[in-house]
Amino acid sequence: MNGTRIAFFAVGVVFAVDTVLLLGLITLKTVHRRRMERHDQRRSIYLGVLSRRLAFPLHTDYIDPEVARDGAFLDAVIDLRNTVAGPEIDTLAGIIDRYGLVKRQAARLRSRFPLGRRLRAAVSLAEMGDESSAPLLIEFLSDREPEIRIQCARGLGRMQHTPAIDAIIERFGKESPWVRSRFADTLVGFGALAAWPLLAYARVNHDYDDNAAVVEAIRVLGTIGERDIGPPLSDLLAKFRNPELKIAAIEALGYVGGPLAVTPLVAYMQDHDWRLRAKAANSLGEIGDPQASPALRLGLEDENWWVRRNSAGALAGIPGGLGILHEALHADDQFARDAAAEALADCGELGKARERQEQGQATAADLELLGFMIEDALVP
Amino acid sequence: MSQAKRVLVADDSEAVRTVLVTALTQAGYEVAVAINGNDAYEMGQTGSIDLALLDHLMPGLLGIEVIARWQAEGYQIPVIILSGVDDERTIVDSLDLGAVDFVRKPFRLPELMARIRQRLPD
Repeated sequence: MNGTRIAFFAVGVVFAVDTVLLLGLITLKTVHRRRMERHDQRRSIYLGVLSRRLAFPLHTDYIDPEVARDGAFLDAVIDLRNTVAGPEIDTLAGIIDRYGLVKRQAARLRSRFPLGRRLRAAVSLAEMGDESSAPLLIEFLSDREPEIRIQCARGLGRMQHTPAIDAIIERFGKESPWVRSRFADTLVGFGALAAWPLLAYARVNHDYDDNAAVVEAIRVLGTIGERDIGPPLSDLLAKFRNPELKIAAIEALGYVGGPLAVTPLVAYMQDHDWRLRAKAANSLGEIGDPQASPALRLGLEDENWWVRRNSAGALAGIPGGLGILHEALHADDQFARDAAAEALADCGELGKARERQEQGQATAADLELLGFMIEDALVP
Repeated sequence: MSQAKRVLVADDSEAVRTVLVTALTQAGYEVAVAINGNDAYEMGQTGSIDLALLDHLMPGLLGIEVIARWQAEGYQIPVIILSGVDDERTIVDSLDLGAVDFVRKPFRLPELMARIRQRLPD
């Protein structure tokens, strides 16, 4: 009997505790939801007041200085910062300054608050993009928290604060691949302004054991696409010993090298490392200069499938390259014939040949290509 | 006294809607607001809209889908597309589908107002 009572009592206690916990959770969620609703209502009001300021610069709606303490006001300012451009940004900058929004977030960033609040401060500073916060953001590029470092770099990129370029690049070798890739995104945003500092970084650091940071720097150079760095990047490629660096530089030259990069890239079509030959073929295709055609024609007979494939793909995009691919259908080398045929199919030549055949207008080259594909069972 | 021209502002961003409604109202236009493509499409069907400012990417119908539907049903509403995406394809698609103008976000408010005045002469 006692045992049954104890069991009932235990079940009752568990039920009561669960009920209290559940009610507590519901209350917390309700409070949080109402808080967010009030936050959104205040944000809407601030948006209205600030919009009147933007639409009519002489508008004199009074804004209580105490609003600077309200997160909803900060959110409204940031929303508008992302909505308008031009002279309205100056009006917003005046509001940011007058209400001390940067100072307030700077103090939060410097505080010993938990990560969440410091991160929100970093995001707010990045979103406001106010020049006055640049020195602080540069300082916090070396914060202990990676997300804060990323936000600081983003903010500096957003305001196009050029003195920050060197500071961001300097962090390259010290960062994890994830943070480095986010820094790389920021540097791409700086465009041509970041090209020469990145090249200098690669030049100084390429001899170190860990080359991942230099590889990333060279990739950024390719993405930025600043043509002026083509020749010095070609010179630097000749000095690289690490194959990963060479691959990155060869790839970047495809975007920034132009005709001047054809000769060094053609030389890499003879390299003993097939990865370099394949990448060089790709880059020659990107440049699209017919001077590269003979080297790419030889690439069709390379021992490596990737080199053959990339050479054929490059020829398909180079003026006069389609003729070379059609001729290669008669090559002694079976690999060269297959590579040429596949490239002709990939670039749409096979489809066009079929259409012309259906219309009774097929050329000799069309019939040859169709015959080759059927003979080699490359198409049904 | 001439009747005020009616402008539809359709954007899922409250900030964009608020800025545009404030500026348009002050400039003497009557403003209708939609927060998604479906609402914008239905408002256009009332036949009372003189000009529409449509966000390119919004919940429900896209800005260009709204234009296509209006045109299919015979509503000739001049549309200015607002978009945070300004790649050539988006601009060309918008203009090909019948938008009269394309404005990149973030936008310069005086410039956008000038474009609206140009489309809605007194």
